[in-house]
Formats: sequence, structure tokens, C-alpha cells
Amino acid sequence: MSDHEPARAGEPASATPALALDALVVRYHGRRTPALDGIDLAVAPGEMVGVAGRNGAGKSTLALAAAAFIPRVVRAQLGGSVAIAGRRVAETPVRDLLGRVGIVFSTPSNQLSGSKLTVREELAFGLENLGVARSEMDARIDETLGSLGIVHLAERLPTALSGGEQQRVAIAAILCMGPGLLVLDEPTAQLDPAATRAVAELLAGRAAAGTAVLVAEHRAAVLGSTARCLVLDGGIAAGIDVPGGALGPEIGGRAGVAVPAVAMLAHGLGLTAGRALDSGAVAAAIRAAGPGELAAAASRVRAAGAWSGPDVAVAPWEAVREQAPAGIEIRGLRHAYPGGTEALRGIDLAIAPGEAVAIVGQNGSGKTTLAKHLVRILAPGAGSVLVAGRDLAGRTIADVARTVGFVFQDPDRQLFSRSVEREVAFGPRNLGLAEEATARLVAQALAAVGLADRAEENPYDLGLSDRKLVALGSVLAMDPAVLVLDEPTTGQDAPGIARAGAIVDSWTAAGRTVVAITHDMEFAARHFGRIVVMRAGEVVADGPSATVLAAANGRLLASTGLEPPPLALLASLLGIAGLPLDPAAILETP
Amino acid sequence: MQAASGYYRPGDSWLHRRNPVTKLLALAWVILAAFLLPPLALPVLAVACLALAAANGLGGSVVRSLRIPAVLIASILVVNALFFPGAVDVIIRLGPIALSREGLVFGLVTAGRVLVAFIASIAFLQATLPDDLLEALVARGASHRFAWVILSAVQMVPRLQESAATILEAQQARGLEIGGSFGRRVRALVPLIGPVLLGSLIDVRERTFALEARGFGAGGPRTAYRVVPDPPGDRWIRAATLLAIAAVVLWPFVAPALGIR
Repeated sequence: MSDHEPARAGEPASATPALALDALVVRYHGRRTPALDGIDLAVAPGEMVGVAGRNGAGKSTLALAAAAFIPRVVRAQLGGSVAIAGRRVAETPVRDLLGRVGIVFSTPSNQLSGSKLTVREELAFGLENLGVARSEMDARIDETLGSLGIVHLAERLPTALSGGEQQRVAIAAILCMGPGLLVLDEPTAQLDPAATRAVAELLAGRAAAGTAVLVAEHRAAVLGSTARCLVLDGGIAAGIDVPGGALGPEIGGRAGVAVPAVAMLAHGLGLTAGRALDSGAVAAAIRAAGPGELAAAASRVRAAGAWSGPDVAVAPWEAVREQAPAGIEIRGLRHAYPGGTEALRGIDLAIAPGEAVAIVGQNGSGKTTLAKHLVRILAPGAGSVLVAGRDLAGRTIADVARTVGFVFQDPDRQLFSRSVEREVAFGPRNLGLAEEATARLVAQALAAVGLADRAEENPYDLGLSDRKLVALGSVLAMDPAVLVLDEPTTGQDAPGIARAGAIVDSWTAAGRTVVAITHDMEFAARHFGRIVVMRAGEVVADGPSATVLAAANGRLLASTGLEPPPLALLASLLGIAGLPLDPAAILETP
Repeated sequence: MQAASGYYRPGDSWLHRRNPVTKLLALAWVILAAFLLPPLALPVLAVACLALAAANGLGGSVVRSLRIPAVLIASILVVNALFFPGAVDVIIRLGPIALSREGLVFGLVTAGRVLVAFIASIAFLQATLPDDLLEALVARGASHRFAWVILSAVQMVPRLQESAATILEAQQARGLEIGGSFGRRVRALVPLIGPVLLGSLIDVRERTFALEARGFGAGGPRTAYRVVPDPPGDRWIRAATLLAIAAVVLWPFVAPALGIR
């Protein structure tokens, strides 16, 4: 953090913070409570600061305010002050701020203009708007691409890049404009673990080169590489600390942030916050501790686990429709998209009735294409798909939906009703169920997703976490024999992920078949007995989760953009066999 | 699969190489001619546009894209032929429905006009990179915000189609039957419209944010990275097209004076 960006001409050379928030209050029109209330934060040049919190805690609002988007682009009342490179945003013309601060959002494809034929032209777009002379543009573009290590993308078509590549291009397009402050709002929300790590490394590199970075995130892989982390809870600062402390149970856990298992162990062992995310240090502390100390640590871990709220438990699902348990059989399945891309290259897979299977793999490995065949949204190019022993060929999606429930990743692609209750009743009504059966299913589904007390609200008045749960509930209410979930944890916060996991458990307990597409390894390990790993349209591993996700399998997982869950790595450092999921249990393993 | 950019088909044909403004003027002429010239011109215009597209490697793709307006064009023909108000010359009558000669003629002519306009517009969109059109318009003094609105509108249609397809799948996966009787098909639209509209609003919001982050709303002088070629011959084509536009616009006034109907 020594080499600060050289001060621009006419600016004081002293250590002016790149960003200074002073008693910041943001209030959206028509909301009773402010979205942010009394936030103080300073980010120095060359410093990377994280912002964590539940969905709705105010992370995005903070990012928008820090990027000078409020109130110019987003209408809201702003109190207190925001200063960028020493200039108060309220008194500075837009043009003066543009080259100084830039912001990157979460959906990769929406970041790009969508009209450029090459990445090079995409980067030039910002420079054009700044009025940079054409003769200077290529040099600036080359320098930016070079410093981010993505020169090889320069002549590629932006819309044809993978999500991870697009997101790095989006960051490059902002950095090319030369801002001293880079703000990011959940930049890795849609990326697989390998792409997430690449973005985290890129951001750390930029900070080392002198740019101030403020990143709102859920992922520990990104937050862990920050210097400090601000935790928000209901618009209020719950604390700010090094990431090991901020994400630990005392600050993050109490604010509903997912506490990394390693940080939980570090808390139990009494390690300092600075070492709380260091697996090696935690493993060494466990080896050094005596049996009495380990037992005390385990009980501290258990106690801390309860701070983030009581465990979500969902009662086992009770069937309302008479349906026999259904298995799935996929034989020689191939699928090519128009244009020739072969997404599935000969899949053979048998899933027994009542099995819980997670299909994992990087973006573009073919897992969603495979899942869409299970409801006949896609028809096989070759091969066949059988559900409950019946070939799906020739059946409509709506007909297959009587047996197979499919929950889409993006809830906004399906919600349309005036109330949560009507939305959840849409599916069972389409099946032509009697009113009494529909009412029972709707009540059971609402209880499962934890929204029974919000049944009368409009789905669009709920936050993203709850909207995802409404979409899930609307499929549960159809009482299908097979439940297929596409990325149930994407865009979801820790309590939402716990809820989705509890629903999977309750369905498995009721003997239903559950299939999930995910690149959340911890979620897969925790709730699914069997893991299928896909790479480039093929199944490359298939077996019990304890075997497939063990640290010993790291190389295979890395070949498709995945990594074992964090505790698997720690277990391997300690020589513990299998895949422990509960941090306290690791301490009690002899 | 997302298209590279709107309806654009990458290529290097003669039509692709024309300056976007040249093509825009030619498109304007074809549409004006289709609506202002006598109906006999319609087959000539349609064949000429298709031949031009085919000669530039776009024949097949233009014809395939005509699927989209096919329903509209067919319904113009059918509704006019069967329900033409004040029709006298009835060919066949079936209860309240009467196939009339006037209706058939009017329907054919109107459908022909719309068809020609679509053929020319699709050929234009497939041969013109939207971004080049934007730069060319800005270079000729159009406000870049205005040019961006045009560009967004051009890109909006394929994006809406894509999102409507996904939404339809999501609702069918919740048991929505889309086939069957007319009433059933209409009812099936309800769960589609809301998410399509809301989804595109969310999309527009995110895209607006991204544009603002790239300094699009900054105002002030703007530079251009991409040089849009303007081949020397284009100047003459544009001059000729402008004359042709004037001729077509004046035709309805001139023709009666010359005793032509």
C-alpha cells in the first residue's frame, strides 16, 4: 500500500482519501426507514475495502452512493456527504467526477454496450464519452488489457465471451477511463468459483497498483482479499474490521452474513482476527491444542453458530397428490445449439427415486442444458430422457411439469401475480387440482419457504432473496415427484441459502427426488448425497459427495472451474478422511 | 444464443460496405415508394429488394426473418377481405362473414405495402451494424442521445424475443398449457406480459446504470474510435436517392396532372 496514485495536477499531494463518506444517510422515496443511516467510511488510494451484509442491508445503496450515482442517476434523498478524491459530490460537476470514479455491477452481459464487435471497441466507448483523442485510445486500451492480463480478449466479440470473461472486460472498460476509485456491486454474483477467484485476484492487483477499491460482496473469496470489511445490518454499520474479524461470528454472524467455516474455527480457538481466514494457521492451532482446549473450542463454535439466528428447519414434505416416487434415466443424451455449439456430448445418468443429486461444473459446462431436458424445455438431439420409466419424447412441458418441478434461476422471469399467495397457487391451479388440495399445497409451500406471513404482499415488493423463495414455493406447491433447482443459491444471502437447503432436506426426507444445478460447493456438500461433475458437455465424475468433493479431488474439480468446499481443504491439512461439514465436529475428531 | 448485435449479420458484401446513412436513405425511399406509388409498383419493389438482399448473401436470412411479421401481414389480408366496411361486390357470403372484392383488393394492397416495408427494413438491419449507424448519424450532427435511442430500439426486439421465450418456458414449467382453444391461448398471455415488461424494465435500468458508469450522460464533446467508411460512390447514391425520394413524395400530386392513375 506504499505506492499511491500520483496526484492529479492542481490537487493537494497529501493523503486525501479516494472516498470519504461522512454520516451518510440515503432514503428512497416512499420508504419509511432509510436504506443507509449514518455511515462513515474512508478508503485510501491503494486500499481495497469490502462491504458485507444480508440482501437488503444497504450494500448496493452504499455502492451507488460511493460511485456518485445518488441522486444524479438513482433518485433518493442523500444526507451527510460523499467526497471523491477530496471533492464533495454534491458540488462537483458530473464531468469532473467521471474520470475519478467508476462502478461495475453484477450482471456481466448488462455491463457491456451490446453493440460493439470487439473488446477493444468496447473499451474505447468510455474513452469516446470522455472525449479522449482517438490517437491516444489504443495505447490506453492496450495498457489496461495488459495490466489485467486479458490482452488475448482484445479482438473477441464481447457478447460471445463467458460470464467471467465479460465481467473482467467490464472492469477493464471502467479502469480504462482511469478512475482512482473503483466501486463494485456484487461483481461475482453470477460467476463460478474459478472466475470468482480470477476477479478477486484482479481487484487485489489493482489495489496494489494504487487504485482504491470498494467492493460489495457475499463471497468470502473476494472479501478475504480486502484490507478491511464494513458489515451492514439494516442500513446501519454493524462493524468494520479486517476481513477475518468482520466475517467472523461476532460481527458478520450477528448481521446474518455467512461466516466462513475457517473463521468459525478461528473464533473457537481464540485466534486473532488477522489469522482467522488462514487455513494453515487454523490447522496449526488445532494440532497444537490439547483435548481440553479442543472441547472448549468446539463448545464456543456451537454457541457462536446460534448467534446468526436459530437453525432453519422445514418439516418433511407431506404429499397431497397421489404420486409414486420417480427416478430419472438419461441415455446417450446429446444436444447442440443452433450454430453448432455442442452443449451435451453423450450423457448417461441414472438417478434413483428419492435420491438428492447436485450437478456441478463451471459456467458453460452444460449443466443447465442438461437440467432443461428433464422438463422437456429442450428436446434431445440424440438419446432419450425417461422420468418414472416413461420417455419424455412427444410430451409438452406443461404435461411433464405434473411430475417434474423446475425452478428457474431468475425469479423475475416468472413472477406476475398481485400477491405471493396467488403466485404460489398458479401452478396447482394449472394442474386442475381441487380448491381444497390447492389450498393445502399453497399453505404448505408458503410455510416451507417461510413466507406465510407475507402471503398478501405483492411479490415485487419483496427483496431478491424472498422473490427467489416465492418462485421456489410456486413450484413446491405443484407437489412434483421430482424437484429440479437451477442455481438456487445465486443472488441469495446466508439465511436464504439455509432456507433453500432446509427445503432440499425436507423433500429428500419425504422420499422425493431432488436435482440441483449449482456451483456452490458448500451447498452441494451439505444437502446432496451424490455429486455429478460436468465439464465441456460430459460427466467427468459421479459419486458420493464425500468422495467427489474431497480435497484429494481438487485437481479434477479445478479443471472445471470448481474447488472443494473450504473445510475439505482444512480436513486434508489435518489428515482427516472424508468431508466434514460441521466446524465443531472437526475439533472433536480425534 | 445471443446475436452479435441486434439483427446484424456480419459480412463484407457490397451492401454491407455502404455507409449506414446511404442505406438509411434507401430504406426511407423504399418505404415511401411502397405507400405512395400505385399498387402495381409493389411486386417490382418486393422482387427488387429480395434480389438485392440475395445478391449480397442475405436472401435466405431475410426470408427466414419474415416469419416474424407474417402473422401481421396475413391478418391484414384476411380481416380486410372478410370484413371490409361498405363492401358491395360480394364474392361469397357465409353468415355474417362476406368475402368482398373491394376488401380482397384493399387487403392485398395494404399487406403488400407492409410486406415491402418489412423486406427492406430487415435487409437494412441485417446489413448494417447498429453501432456504425449510430456513429454515422452522430458524425452528421445527430445528438448522440437520440442516436442511442434509435440503437436501443433496434436491439430491443431480439432481446425481448429472447426474454419472452425464457418466460414462456418458466410458466409452462409451472403447468401453463399454451395450445388449445383461442380463449386458452389468450389467457396464456397474462402470465407472460407482466414478467416481459418488468424484466425489460429491470434490464433497461441495469443498462442505463452501465452506460452512465461509462460516461454516456456526461455531455460535452465526444470523440469516435471507430471510423465508419464512406466510400466515394456513396455520395452519388445518396444524391440519387434524395432525388428519388422527392419524386416519390411529389408523385401523388404530379400523377393526376399528367392524367395518370
